[in-house]
Amino acid sequence: MGKKVFLIDTKGCNGCYSCQIGCKDEHVANDWTPIAKPQPEIGHFWFKLQQKVRGTVPKVKVAYTPRICMHCDNAPCMDACKHGAKYKRDDGLVIIDPVKCIGCRNCTELCPYDAIFFNEDLNIAQKCTGCAHLIDAGWKETRCTDNCPTICMRMVDEDSSEAKEFIKKAEVLKPELNTKPRVYYTGLPKKFIAGTLFDPVEDEVYIGAECSLAGAGGKYNTKTDEYGDFWFEDLPDGKFKLEFKAGGKTKVFDDLDTTAADINMGDIPL
Amino acid sequence: MAENIKAKAVPGTKPPPMGADKTVVKAINLSGGIFGACPAHVDVKDGKVVRIRPLHYDSKYDYDSFNAWEMERNGVKWRPLSKSVPPPWGLAYKKRAYSPNRVPYPMKRVDWDPNGERNPQNRGSSKFERISWDEATDLIAAEIRRVHKEYGPLAILLQCDGHSESKLIHAPHGCSTLLLDKMGGFTQQVRNPDSWEGWYWGAKHVWGKGFIGNMAPAENIVVDITENTELLVVQGGDLETTPWGFRGQMASRLMFFWNECGIKQVYICPDLNYSAAIHGDKWIPVLPNTDAALQLAIIYTWVTEGTYDKEYVATHAVGMDKMEEYVLGKVDGVPKTPKWASEKCGIPSYTIKALARDWAKKATTVGHYFGGGYIRGPYSTEPARLEVILLGMQGLGKPGRHHAQIAYMGMPKNITWDQLQYDIANSDTSKGFQEYSGTFETIKHKDPELHERIFNPHRGTPQAWGKQLIPKTLIEEAIKCGTDKTLNFWGTGGHEEEPIDQMVKYNYPVRKGDIRMLQGSTQNNPNLKHDDRDLESTYYKVDYDGVPIRMVWTDTPCRQTCWGDGFDIGMTIRDPQIEFVLAQHPWLENDCIYADIVLPTNTYLEVDDVMPCVRDGEHFQTMLNMRKAIEPVGESKSDFEAVVEIAKKLGMEKEVTIGRTVEQYIEGVYKGMNFDQIVPYEEWLEKDYMVIPVSKNWRNLPAGLSEFANDPVKNPLPTPTGKLEFCSTNLSKYFPNDEERPPYPQWIEKGITHDERLSSSRARTYPLLIITNHPRWRVHAQADDIPWTKEADTGKVRGFDGYLYEPCWIHPDDAAARGINNGDIVRVFNERGSVLCGALVFERIMPGALSVDHGARTDIIIPGKLDRGGAINLITPKGLTSKHAAGQATTSFLVDVERVSMAQYDEWRTEYPEAWNREYDRASGLKATAWVERGSK
Repeated sequence: MGKKVFLIDTKGCNGCYSCQIGCKDEHVANDWTPIAKPQPEIGHFWFKLQQKVRGTVPKVKVAYTPRICMHCDNAPCMDACKHGAKYKRDDGLVIIDPVKCIGCRNCTELCPYDAIFFNEDLNIAQKCTGCAHLIDAGWKETRCTDNCPTICMRMVDEDSSEAKEFIKKAEVLKPELNTKPRVYYTGLPKKFIAGTLFDPVEDEVYIGAECSLAGAGGKYNTKTDEYGDFWFEDLPDGKFKLEFKAGGKTKVFDDLDTTAADINMGDIPL
Repeated sequence: MAENIKAKAVPGTKPPPMGADKTVVKAINLSGGIFGACPAHVDVKDGKVVRIRPLHYDSKYDYDSFNAWEMERNGVKWRPLSKSVPPPWGLAYKKRAYSPNRVPYPMKRVDWDPNGERNPQNRGSSKFERISWDEATDLIAAEIRRVHKEYGPLAILLQCDGHSESKLIHAPHGCSTLLLDKMGGFTQQVRNPDSWEGWYWGAKHVWGKGFIGNMAPAENIVVDITENTELLVVQGGDLETTPWGFRGQMASRLMFFWNECGIKQVYICPDLNYSAAIHGDKWIPVLPNTDAALQLAIIYTWVTEGTYDKEYVATHAVGMDKMEEYVLGKVDGVPKTPKWASEKCGIPSYTIKALARDWAKKATTVGHYFGGGYIRGPYSTEPARLEVILLGMQGLGKPGRHHAQIAYMGMPKNITWDQLQYDIANSDTSKGFQEYSGTFETIKHKDPELHERIFNPHRGTPQAWGKQLIPKTLIEEAIKCGTDKTLNFWGTGGHEEEPIDQMVKYNYPVRKGDIRMLQGSTQNNPNLKHDDRDLESTYYKVDYDGVPIRMVWTDTPCRQTCWGDGFDIGMTIRDPQIEFVLAQHPWLENDCIYADIVLPTNTYLEVDDVMPCVRDGEHFQTMLNMRKAIEPVGESKSDFEAVVEIAKKLGMEKEVTIGRTVEQYIEGVYKGMNFDQIVPYEEWLEKDYMVIPVSKNWRNLPAGLSEFANDPVKNPLPTPTGKLEFCSTNLSKYFPNDEERPPYPQWIEKGITHDERLSSSRARTYPLLIITNHPRWRVHAQADDIPWTKEADTGKVRGFDGYLYEPCWIHPDDAAARGINNGDIVRVFNERGSVLCGALVFERIMPGALSVDHGARTDIIIPGKLDRGGAINLITPKGLTSKHAAGQATTSFLVDVERVSMAQYDEWRTEYPEAWNREYDRASGLKATAWVERGSK
C-alpha cells in the first residue's frame, strides 16, 4: 500500500461545502468502528472549509481553504496520547482508535491545526480518518474528494508523478512546527494591494498607467487595465511603497502595510 | 437511430459499496418538472440511507462510448468529467427525508368542522390533530362533491406548480389535475416566470417569444463563447448558486474553464455573489435595480462616441431612432449621461464610460443564470429590454455575442437530437416534438393515454390550461374580489405563451366570450409558424362562465416565502369565502400551517420512479431507473398515491391510474422515449442508468442567433417586423400610453404600481435597498431544514438564544451606523412588516444595500406583522412587475434594519410565549410536532 497524500489547490475551490457535507454524510449516524465511531450531528468539523473575505468594496475576493487532519508524520497528538489510542497506518493516515480512546482530552487542545474534536456523548476524541474504512474496502476516493465538483482536492499515492509534481510547487501549513503534514496546498491566500486610478478633471480612468511596487519580497510592476484598475496579488506580509505614473503625473504612497490585511486603496484621483 | 451508439458494458459488476446492502440511482436536483438532473448513487443498509454520492458515469459503462465533447481556447481544454457534480444539499438529502419537520400522519385543523364551524379566521394560528388516511380522504371527497354541487368544478383552485424534487411518475406538483380534469376541470393558478420576469414581460417584445422569454435559439453558444467571446458581463445572476437547483455544479467548472482560458469576467451586482467572489476579474457594485440607468448611459456613450454596430442596427433592428432621442434627452429634457446614471446607480461615471468602451471594443456576451437584482424587481421589463438593445447595438448573434443563460442552454446535443432531426425530415411535420426533450414527445404518438398520465401533472408549470385562470401573482387579489367583483389581467404568465398573449385582457371569473390562446402552439412544433400580427388566428372564444373560488388544494405550499407581500398571503387565506384548504406536502412548513387538512407525502428516496435527465447543463445526459431506496417515512404516501386515495373515494381510481402499475409506467416511458434503441430495457433495469452518448454532429448546429445575424431577411425573428424591436410594435399598438412599460424601455423612477427608489419619500423611513437572491443553501423554499448546509459560513447565523437566523448581509458602514455587530439578531422592516435575521457584517455587499436570500421557512410570531424565520418575501412589494405585466416584484425594495434590543426581545418573548417557544431542533430548526395538538389517536 502506497503512502497517501492530500493535494489541495485552493484556487480551484468554489466554496460549495460538498466536502464538509460529505464528511458528515459519511460519519454522522454511521458507525465505522474500528476506524471511527459516529460523528455528532452538528458542531464537529473533521473537514472544515474555511472562508475568508479579503479586501473592501469594490476590491473584494473570497478565499476558501479546506482544512482536515494533516495526518502528520511527526504528529503532536500521537506523542501526547498516553493510552495507545493513536496510530499511524502504513498508508500514512493517522487514526484515533475509537475503542482505546478514554477521553482524556490531552490531544484536543494540542493539535496545532485544530483538527481534533471531542465527542461529549461518546467521551472520545475524533477527527478525519482519511476515510480509511473506505480505502480499506477498495475505494480510490475519500468522501470529500469524491464529492468535490472541481477536483481541487485529491488523495493520491505519495510516489505518484502527480503528487511529486504538485508537491514541488506546494506548501504545508505551519511548516515551522516540523510536524511533517501529509496535506499539501497551492494557492493559499496571501495579500493583495489594489485600486483604481482616475483623472478627476477629465472624469476618466487611466488606462495603462505605470504602477511600481517595492517592499517585502522585492519589486513588482503592473499597469492599470481598461477600468483603471491595478492589482498586485500574492504579496507577502510587509511594508510597501507604491508609485503611480500617468499623464505626466506621479503619485507615491510609501506607508502601505499588508501585515494585517489586504489593501484596497480605493479610487485614487491623479 | 444512428448506428454504433450502444454504450459498452464494462465486464463484471462491482460489489456493493462499504456498509451497504443496496445501491440505487436518483436524480437529486430540485427543479422538478418532466426532466431531472444530478444523478447520484444512494447506498442503503437495513432500510436506512447510508450515504448519497455522485454517480460515476463510467461505473457500468465505458467512458469512451459516450463520445465526450471537447472545447478549447488558448491551449486550455475542457472535457466532461466521468462523474456527476451534484449540489451540496443534494448530497445531504437524507437529512431532508429524515427531518423532524416531516408531516408524520394525516392531520386536520382542530377547529375546522366541515359540518359546523369552519373557523377560517384561525388558519395559521390553531393547531392540528391526527386523523387516519381513511378519515382524511372521506372528508376531502365529501368537500369536493359538495363544492362541485354547490358552486361547480371551477370553484376549486389548484395550486400545483413550481420547483420540486425530480419525480416523473410521482410528480410532486400537479397530480391533482389528473383527478379534477376528469371531473369537469378546475381553476388553475398559473405559475408566473418567477426568476426571469423582465425577459418574459419585456425582452419578448424585443426579440419575440424566445425560449420562455430568453434568447432563442441558444444552441451551441457555450462553444461559441469559448472560442470567440472576449468579455463576459455577468449581470446579477449567480453561476455558483442558481444552477445548483437545475443541473448541479457543471456551470462552476465552465466558469473556471473560461477563467483559465482568458475570457475576462465582469460582474455587475450589489452583492459580491458567489460567482463574482471567485471568478470575477472585476466587480462593479450597482445599487439594487438601478441597472437600467447604467444601461442607458452605456447607450448614451455609444451613441455620442459612435461606437456601436450601425450597419447591424440598420438591417437588424427597428426603433433605434427612438432610443437615440430618448438617451440624448430629446424626449424628457434629461440626457442619460454617465453622470446622470452615476447618481442613480452608484457607479462612478468614469467606470461607466470605461465599461461602455471595453464592451464596444470586445466581442461581449451578457451572462446570467436567472435571478439577480434586476430581473425580478419592480419594472424589470426595462433593464431586460435594455439588455437586448445593448446586445443588438453590438451585433447580437455574431461570434461571441450572445445573451447566455450560462450552461442552462447551449451545450452540445446528445444523439436523441440526431433522432429528432431525422424524424422532422422524414415524418409528418404536424406530429411535433418537444423542444429539448429529444424523444419525450414520441410517447404522445405511441401511447397517448400514458403521455397524458405522465405529462399532465407537469403541465402546470409551463402552460396555462385550466378552464379558469388566475396568475400566481394575483391569487390574493382574486380572493379579495369576493363573489361579486371581477379581476382583470393581461396575459396569463404561462411560460410558453406567445408575446401577443400579453396584449389580451383576461377576466377572473372567466366569462363567456373571453378569448383564450389555442393550445399546442409553437412549443411542441418547431415547424408551426405563429403570427404575432393576428390575434384572431391565435385565439378562440370561451363558451362558459366561471365562478369565484371556494376551495384551495395546494401541493405547492410556499407562497408566503416565495411570492410577494407574504404577510398578506397569510392573512388573505383566512377569508371565509375559502371554505376548505387542502395541503399535501412532505414537510409541515410555510403555507401548510394554513391548511384545514394536511396529507403527508414523501420524497424521491421513498418511491420507485423513472427520470430522463436530458436537458443542458450536465457533463452527460442520462436516463435513470430510480428504484425505491427506503420505505415511506411515517404514514406518508407519494403525491400521486395521495391523489389516488382521494380518487378511490370518488369512484375515479381507474381514470387517474389508467389501470396501470408503476412498473408499467416505467417500462412505457423508457420504451416510449425510444431509449431501448440505445440500451435494451432489461440491461437498463439491471444497471439502473444509461448515459446518452453525445451526438457526433453536435458542432453542426448554428450558435445562438447567428443565422439571424447573418441574414435577417431569410431568418427573421418571431416579432411583427421580423427584427429586433427596440421600440415594440405590439406595445405601441396595444399600450401606447403605458408609463410603466412604454413602447421602448425607459428609466422609471416611480409609477402607479411601485415607489421603491431612494428618491421616494418612503426612503426617509426605509433608506436601504434590499435584494432577495435565489438562495445559496436552498432551492427557493426547499431544503431549509438540512443541518449541514446551515453550518456553512453564510448558511445560518446562530443567535445568542441558539436559534438559527437567516443571514442578512450588511456592509460594515451601514452596520456601524446602526450599532449592529456581526452575529446580532436584527429586524429588517418596512410598512409591510418585520422579519428577524442574523447580521452578517462584511464587505460582500455594497453600502446602502442589504441582501437576504429568499425562501427561508416562515416562523410567524405575530400574524401579518412579525416573522422569526427570516422569510424576506413576507415584506416584498405587493404590486406586479407593472400595471400590465403580471409578474412578481420581489427583490430590490426599500427597508431599514435595526439591532433587536434585549428589551424588545423580552417583550416578544413574554407577549407571544407560545409562538416564541415552538418546539425547535437545534440542528434542523422547527419541528412538525410544534403544530400538533393531538398526536395520538
